Amino acid sequence: MEHNNLDAASGDKFNLNGNCSPSPEKQSFDLNHTKNIDDISTPSELKFDEDFDFEDPQISEKRKEIERCLHSPDTVNLDQWQHLARSKGGLISDDYRKVIWPLLVGVTKDEMTEPPSLDDLSTHGEYNQVVLDVNRSLKRFPPGIPYEQRVALQDQLTVLILRVIIKHPNLKYYQGYHDVAITLLLVCGDRASFPLLCRLSCGAAAPLQPFMQTTMAPTQHLLNYMLPVIRRADPDVADCLDKAQVGTMFALPWYLTWFGHSLNRYSDVVRLYDYFLCSPPLFPVYVTAAIVLYRGGEVLRCDCDMAMLHCLLSRLPDDLPFEDILVTAEKLYLENDPEDLEPEVAALERREAEIRHADEERMRRRREAGARARAGRGRAAAGWRGVTSLAAWLPAVTSRRALLATATVLLGVYVYYRPELLFNR
Amino acid sequence: MSETSNQQIPGLAQKKVFKIIVLGDSGVGKTCLTYRFCEGQFLDKSEATIGVDFRERTIRIRNEEIKLQLWDTAGQERFRKSMVQHYYRNVHAVVIVYDVTKPESFHSIVSWMQEVESHGLTNAPRVLVGNKCDCGTPESRLATTYAQRAADKYGMPLFETSALLDSECDNVESIFMTLAHKLYSKQPLRVISVEGDQSYGVVTLPRHKSRTAPPRDSCLCS
Repeated sequence: MEHNNLDAASGDKFNLNGNCSPSPEKQSFDLNHTKNIDDISTPSELKFDEDFDFEDPQISEKRKEIERCLHSPDTVNLDQWQHLARSKGGLISDDYRKVIWPLLVGVTKDEMTEPPSLDDLSTHGEYNQVVLDVNRSLKRFPPGIPYEQRVALQDQLTVLILRVIIKHPNLKYYQGYHDVAITLLLVCGDRASFPLLCRLSCGAAAPLQPFMQTTMAPTQHLLNYMLPVIRRADPDVADCLDKAQVGTMFALPWYLTWFGHSLNRYSDVVRLYDYFLCSPPLFPVYVTAAIVLYRGGEVLRCDCDMAMLHCLLSRLPDDLPFEDILVTAEKLYLENDPEDLEPEVAALERREAEIRHADEERMRRRREAGARARAGRGRAAAGWRGVTSLAAWLPAVTSRRALLATATVLLGVYVYYRPELLFNR
Repeated sequence: MSETSNQQIPGLAQKKVFKIIVLGDSGVGKTCLTYRFCEGQFLDKSEATIGVDFRERTIRIRNEEIKLQLWDTAGQERFRKSMVQHYYRNVHAVVIVYDVTKPESFHSIVSWMQEVESHGLTNAPRVLVGNKCDCGTPESRLATTYAQRAADKYGMPLFETSALLDSECDNVESIFMTLAHKLYSKQPLRVISVEGDQSYGVVTLPRHKSRTAPPRDSCLCS
């Protein structure tokens, strides 16, 4: 954790969103604030997006509309913000997202409070796991980000995650949570991302809440909705997945991180977050279904084998047309309400339980057969190998004398059964 | 599993596939180790593995092409219980990895062994791998004799290596090749070798990438 001691030194210089600025009111709804030295690492300064020479006129139009809304935010209601976030192109730029994301989940300015220092949190039980994952999140930072700035952001990320799980001790950290947290942090800064992440993590309808239970069983259950959705839309693809028993693991990182972990293009990730922040909690599962359906041709051409299919599906191509995929996912959601799917999911899980049971039975038999074979070998084995390994199974027989006695008896028994080895020369 | 599209030795209908699962605590370097073996280089920006990742490489034993499938698993305990279970099915061999600079990861071997046994893999070939031997000082690293004792207790060979160092890549090779050989010799149904089988028992290691990258001395661990 080489950078922890940098925290104190870098804290002043690299705070996001002008944490050091005296008036917090100034910060949130004013897009035109002048950049000062404290803003050096504001998310908008971090360049992910390629500069486009040409912008779709529709998007340019939408950009103007968003700016109009942001000029008089009080006149815009939640539905309108949601419409902007979901419709084609999403919220377009991180400058807009930074303001609109908190509005989408109903975070107020009062909730955006100063984060504690990392040192105060380092005694938490999950500290090591979080730091381990945060230190390995290099891929998620803008290319070319200065080392000091990246390290400062990583510290902020660790603080952000620990703050949430300290405030809500019932929530358990999972690997992948850091991928969601960093997306929020990069877009909204450390003050706004804390209440935002809390909203997404805690509460009955919070989308990340099922992932943060003691076990992954709730997550697994929700991910199982993907398969009936695929089956209803394309039975051939569903049959193929079924036959290969590929399961849902290939889509697990997608769902757990809202694709943050699995997509190379930052712009795709934030676009999806625009949508997910105003969707039902299960919606990302419908997006996974839409992606599998979009790649249906590849699935059908692939060898019907678990490894091959897992390999094919788990790696997302860089050129997925997410606008179309979101439209498909929305359609799938409207046509296949989660409640409608419940019986199919239940049937699927029953079948999985049966397979698991058969597997366990098979393993038990294998263990028993192994034990029997070893015992048999022990009876008939010639020489010291058998004797010594027998001694290993019978820990009670450890004294040399007992060992010698056992060996003699065994040799006697062996010679009795196979005298030809000794006498038949 | 039709291999018809792949180039292969005439007369053989199918490539043999050996499935190897890689286990160990979070951050011990499972992903880098499998990446080193399959891609021939160090994975620079390694991330936490979520769920299960998959890599493969084709090797040659006695003129026969064999596909090694490596299942790289998440280290965090919550992924182990229900989720990774599915991937133990039909596993042929096990690699258990620990970090030579983190004694806790070595002590976890006990629970990893229990896990392996609970999945009926008691008789599957296994190896123990101490990774990151480029990190720390000789004093801070777990003593080989100590690790060797644990390896002996469980009856598995011990390898100490570094997925980072190019100089260690032969060692990484030998981890998986040892398993492959063990599995190959265990095969009950041996496909009769094709003509020109002069390399009896000799392994040919296809090099995927030329290893011209400058040698790295610094430790990437933090």
